[in-house]
Amino acid sequence: MEESAVDKVRDILLKAQEEVKAVQVENKEIQLECDLGNLVVTDNNTLVQDTLRNSDECGEYLRSLARDSIQTLITKVWDLPTERIDNAVYVTLPKPSISIPREKKVPVEKPLTKWEQYAKDKGITKRKKEKKVWDEVLKQWVPRYGFRKVQADKEKNWVRVVPENADPYEDQYAKVAEMKKENVAKNEFQRLRNIARNSKVKLPSVGVTGNEFARPKDLLRAAQHAKHATASLGKFQPGLKGEKPSKGRGNKRKSEGSTMDIQQEKKRNIDIFDKIGKPDLNLDAAMHRQVKDDNVEHDRKKKGGKKHLRRSKMGGRHLTRSDHRSIKLGKGIHNNGPKGKGRDAGPGSKGKGKDRASLLQLASKRGATGKIIMKANKRKKFSKR
Amino acid sequence: MPAIQRVIKPRTKRSKRALEKREPQFIENTKQCLFFHGLKTSEGIRECVKDLHALKSQASLKLQQKNKILPFEDVLPVERLAVKNDSSLFCMATHSKKRPNNIVIGRMFDHHLLDMVELGVENYAPLSEFKNAKVAAGTKPCMVFCGTEFEDVTEFKILKNLLIDFFRGVEAKEIRLQGFEHALQFTVFDGKVFLKSYRILLKKSGTRIPRVELEEIGPSMTLQMRRNRFASNDLRKRSLQQPKQQKANKVKNVRKDPFGTRLGRVHMTKQDIGKLQTRKMKGLKEITKKTKKTRGRVSGDEQMETNE
Repeated sequence: MEESAVDKVRDILLKAQEEVKAVQVENKEIQLECDLGNLVVTDNNTLVQDTLRNSDECGEYLRSLARDSIQTLITKVWDLPTERIDNAVYVTLPKPSISIPREKKVPVEKPLTKWEQYAKDKGITKRKKEKKVWDEVLKQWVPRYGFRKVQADKEKNWVRVVPENADPYEDQYAKVAEMKKENVAKNEFQRLRNIARNSKVKLPSVGVTGNEFARPKDLLRAAQHAKHATASLGKFQPGLKGEKPSKGRGNKRKSEGSTMDIQQEKKRNIDIFDKIGKPDLNLDAAMHRQVKDDNVEHDRKKKGGKKHLRRSKMGGRHLTRSDHRSIKLGKGIHNNGPKGKGRDAGPGSKGKGKDRASLLQLASKRGATGKIIMKANKRKKFSKR
Repeated sequence: MPAIQRVIKPRTKRSKRALEKREPQFIENTKQCLFFHGLKTSEGIRECVKDLHALKSQASLKLQQKNKILPFEDVLPVERLAVKNDSSLFCMATHSKKRPNNIVIGRMFDHHLLDMVELGVENYAPLSEFKNAKVAAGTKPCMVFCGTEFEDVTEFKILKNLLIDFFRGVEAKEIRLQGFEHALQFTVFDGKVFLKSYRILLKKSGTRIPRVELEEIGPSMTLQMRRNRFASNDLRKRSLQQPKQQKANKVKNVRKDPFGTRLGRVHMTKQDIGKLQTRKMKGLKEITKKTKKTRGRVSGDEQMETNE
C-alpha cells in the first residue's frame, strides 16, 4: 500500500515537472527583448553558423529559435491584465517601445479667422439658433437656412412691393438676387483673405467689393486711390468743394539716419553681410513647382497627347536645313528680332520672319512707294536702340 | 479636428469628408500598403508580391497594371501613386538581368519618401507550396528578429524598423488571446535575411500559460539587400514626432450614463402618429361599413323585443 502511494506521488511530481518544462525556454546568453506593444521579440544571441549553412538543418533550427522567442512572448502576454468582453478574453497591451514613424505630420491647430479672433477678444460666444423659425405670413415653421428655405421664400414673397422713391421699372427680384450674390461673394472674399492672412501672404490694403455693404471709410479710400492713379499721381485732379486733401495713403519710406547707435549700426551691417551671397530661394515652393511640372509632363506623355505645344507658342516655324547652315556660318537665322504684331514689333515679326533686307528687296520688286522703305529704315533705328 | 486649409473648397459634403480623412490626424489610421509591378517582372516575383499582399490583405491595395517606374532613379512617380491611393507603404516588384527577382519596399512620410530598400528574393517558397491551414486575414503577427546584425549594422537596423512598420498592421491596444495566430521570423546571417512565416498552435501545458508549437505556412524566402535610400536624420526625427496630447476624434451620438452603459442616439424618419397602435378596446374600434350594418340590425331586434 505504502509503496504504491509513494509511486503515485512521484508520478504526479514528475508530471508537474514536465508540464513546467513544456512552457519553459532554455536559458540564453543574452535575454530576449520583448516589445509587447508591437509584439516584437529581438534575439541578440549569436547564431550557430554551421547549421545555418546546412540547408537540411537550417529550417528546423530556425523554427526552434522562433518557437523559443514566441513562447517567451506568449508567457509575457499571458501575464498582462485581461478583460472579458462578449465571452472573449482580451489582453491590454502596453505602449510600444520601438517607435515607428508617423504617416503624416502632427496636425497643427486651425488658425483663427479675423472674426473668431475678434469674438475671442471680446468674449463673444456663439449662440445656438433654432433651425426653424415661425413665419407670420405663411403661418408655419420655415427653415432658417438650407433645405426648403428657397421654396418657402418663393411662397412667401410671391409679390414684391416697389418702394416709393424707387425707379418703377426696376426689377425688384433681380435686385434681391443681386444682393444675395454680392453677399456670397463677400463671404468668399473674406474666406480667402483669412487664408491669405494665415499663410502670411501680403495683401493690398485696397479691396472694396463695391456693394451695399461697403463702409463709407472703404469707399473713401477707394475714391482716393482712384484719384491718385493718374500719370501725375493725381496732382491735377479737380477736387470737390471742401474736400480735404488725402493723407495717409501709403507709408512713406523713412530715411535712416547715417549716424546711429553703435550696436544698431553693427547689427545693420551684419544683416547686410548675411544677405550677400545667399540665394533668395523658397525651397519648398521650388520643389513643389518642380514636382508639378514633372507631373504635367508625365501626364502628357502617358495620355499620348501632344509632345510639343503649338508652333506659334514654341517660337515660330521649325528650322530648315538652310537655317542650320546659316547658324553654323554665324549668320543667324531669319527671325531673330523681338516678336509681336504691334507698332513696336521687331524686324523679324512681320512677313513671316523676313528680315529688313528681304523687305527692302520685296519693296523694290513690287515697285512700292518709299513708304515701306521708310518704315524699314525706322525699324532699323528701333533695332539699333 | 484639423482644418482643411484649402483655397478651393470641396463642392460636396462627401468630398469634404474624403479630404478630411486624408488630413493629418492626431491618432492615425493603419498605414495602407500599395503593391505594384514594374515594367518587367518574373513569374516568381509576381507570386511573391501576391503572397505578401495576401499576408497583409486588409490594409493593402494591389495595382494590376505595369508601371514604368524606376524608384531609385526617380521616386516622384511612386510618391504620386502613394498620394493618389492615400497609402504610405509600398512594395514594388521588378526583374532585370542585373537585379533579378527584385522587390522594393519603402515607406512615406507626409507624402514624401522616407526609407526605401531594394531586396533580391532567392529560394522562394510560395504560400501554395505549404499544404496546410493558413491564418485568418488581418491577424496581427508576432515578429521575431534573430541575429546580431539587426542591432549592430545601421542598414539592418533601419530595415528592421521598416519591416515592423510594414507587417505590424493595426496598432491595437487590446487583443483577443485567441488572436495570437501568426508569427513572422526574420533572421539575418551573412548579410542575408531569411523570412519565415508560421502558424502559432497554442497547446495545453497543464499550467495557465499554453505551450507554443509552430507550423510553417509560408511564404518563405531569402532576401538579399541591394540598393537603399534612407531618410536624413533630420527627416527621421521629424517623422518620429508625436503630438503632445493624443486627442481622439469626436465620437458623435454615443454616450455613457453614470452606470457605464453605452447609449446611442439613432436618427429616424418622423413617426406617423395617426397610424400608431394604442391599446385595443372595443369602444375605440374604428367603425367600418360592415360593423355599422350589424350594429343597426341588433338595435332593431332590441326594439322589437321591447314592443312585445
